[in-house]
Amino acid sequence: MNSGNFQDRREDAWKELDEMIESVEKRKPVPGVDQLPKKFREACADLALANHRMYGGSVITRLNDLVIRGYKLLYRSRRQGGESFVRFVGVTFPATVRKEWRLFWLCSAMFWVPFFGMMWMAQVNIDWVQSVLGPQGMASMEQMYGGKEEQLSHLRSEYGSNFMMFCHYIQNNVGIDFRIFAGGMLAGLGTIFFTVYNGLFIGAAAGYVNYACNPESFWTFVAGHSSFELLGMVVAAMAGMRLGMGVLKPGRMSRGKAIASSAKQALPLIFGAAGMTALAAVVEGFWSAQPFPPMVKYGFGAAMWLLHILYFTLLGRGPREA
Amino acid sequence: MEESGSRLDTLQAIELAEGVEVRLRIAGPLLRGGALALDLVIQWLFILLLSVIFMMTGIVVGAMTSAGLISLSWFFIWWWYPVFFEAGKWGATPGKKIVGLRVVQTSGSPITFSQSVLRNFLRYADGMPFLGAGVMGIPTFGFAIGSSLATKRFQRLGDLAAGTVVIYDKLPPEPVVPAPPPMESVQPAMALRPEEVRALSAFRDRAGLWSDGRREEIADHARELSGSKGAAGVSRLMAMAHWLQERR
Repeated sequence: MNSGNFQDRREDAWKELDEMIESVEKRKPVPGVDQLPKKFREACADLALANHRMYGGSVITRLNDLVIRGYKLLYRSRRQGGESFVRFVGVTFPATVRKEWRLFWLCSAMFWVPFFGMMWMAQVNIDWVQSVLGPQGMASMEQMYGGKEEQLSHLRSEYGSNFMMFCHYIQNNVGIDFRIFAGGMLAGLGTIFFTVYNGLFIGAAAGYVNYACNPESFWTFVAGHSSFELLGMVVAAMAGMRLGMGVLKPGRMSRGKAIASSAKQALPLIFGAAGMTALAAVVEGFWSAQPFPPMVKYGFGAAMWLLHILYFTLLGRGPREA
Repeated sequence: MEESGSRLDTLQAIELAEGVEVRLRIAGPLLRGGALALDLVIQWLFILLLSVIFMMTGIVVGAMTSAGLISLSWFFIWWWYPVFFEAGKWGATPGKKIVGLRVVQTSGSPITFSQSVLRNFLRYADGMPFLGAGVMGIPTFGFAIGSSLATKRFQRLGDLAAGTVVIYDKLPPEPVVPAPPPMESVQPAMALRPEEVRALSAFRDRAGLWSDGRREEIADHARELSGSKGAAGVSRLMAMAHWLQERR
């Protein structure tokens, strides 16, 4: 059989498959579309045959095209439902954080050491803190936390301003998490830079407020969302470092394979970090600036920290652990 | 010869679960850069449009609420626009769709949501080094270009991490302009490998595209097979290709 015979004999089947694929692509399936997988496999066999017998370019190109289009339709992944979300929150995420406990302590140190270093510096030598914050940073800290406790809730008194701040925190803080993660691709250097930088800056801000502003208005404001936001940042840094370790330490895999596999391992961490930071934005937007008594706010903040510790230590254990 | 086959063009042979090999044509940095530029324009238009809409609704719901909605739309369009389009039915952002590209797994199947997240979030790393203003400056995409040129399948860093490649959605058909059929058919003097047979029949199928001089130049590379140079070599190769094609 030569190329021409082969085409004549199979032409109708290919046309039929082509029409079926096109109808599904346009979301208007023709009757008898359940035959598509069978026809697709026949076309695969035809392509293999045409390749083997080295029929001319046009037949092979055409079959190649048909097979790729069919493959694209048949192997489309299905969107996962709510069950996998519950499983992620209840099992996969806390179990992954526990599994990566080394990275957790490393990234915590990357954030907290500069943070407390700056806080301590504020007491020893305020110049350092001032040079980290810069005149603009200092001015905005004084504007927010300079006076009495009600200052912040005054800033938020206009209708809709809580919602605006919530949206702003989502855009800004979740974006920071994503950048921390992406920085991991540079052998972890970007992650280290962003995490240490945030530690320095946040520590300097806290130290400066203790030094020059009204500390209570600051600490009551940040208490509520601190656990979500800071732990979320640490988890994002873990994701970045996991990716960076794939670049630095591929082990017995090729570097490309190691990067791909460590990126897969980092995925639950970055999803979790984004979720935590989004929750932080909810708290920061709608709770933290409310004019409640300080003890209520501190109590709420402490409860949230406790909840996080319990979540990460207890959930997702047992035989179903991911 | 099979070595050079994989080096000469950007076709990537991939074996599917059905046991058949398909060929994907990998897209290069230039076209992908064009798609990216288109996407940036579309993203800016989206943001502009949403801003106008929210500012108008701001009259009703309050200026603060509308400012919040605008920054939220920034977040979603910036980070999630490519993720959802590439994980969706198209497998491509609108920019890629316009220039005719599509993202697939290295195995050839459509990408998953997770892969889409990975490759698009890591675009930030691909954008480095930044011009001006440190890490917030204008991305030059130097890393993406470097990585694309250093890998066999034009993968940027995000592609490497997610295990994806960008391909042409539809392969442009190979031009078939056969020269006038040869008068005779000659059996090749030696047994040929499949790649060599393919090369011969491709030579015949495309010979009509070239001038006589170009044909001779190409045929001279196969001197050992045809046993002669110049025009004689061309007609000898054509005769062999004719014999091979007729035999089947």
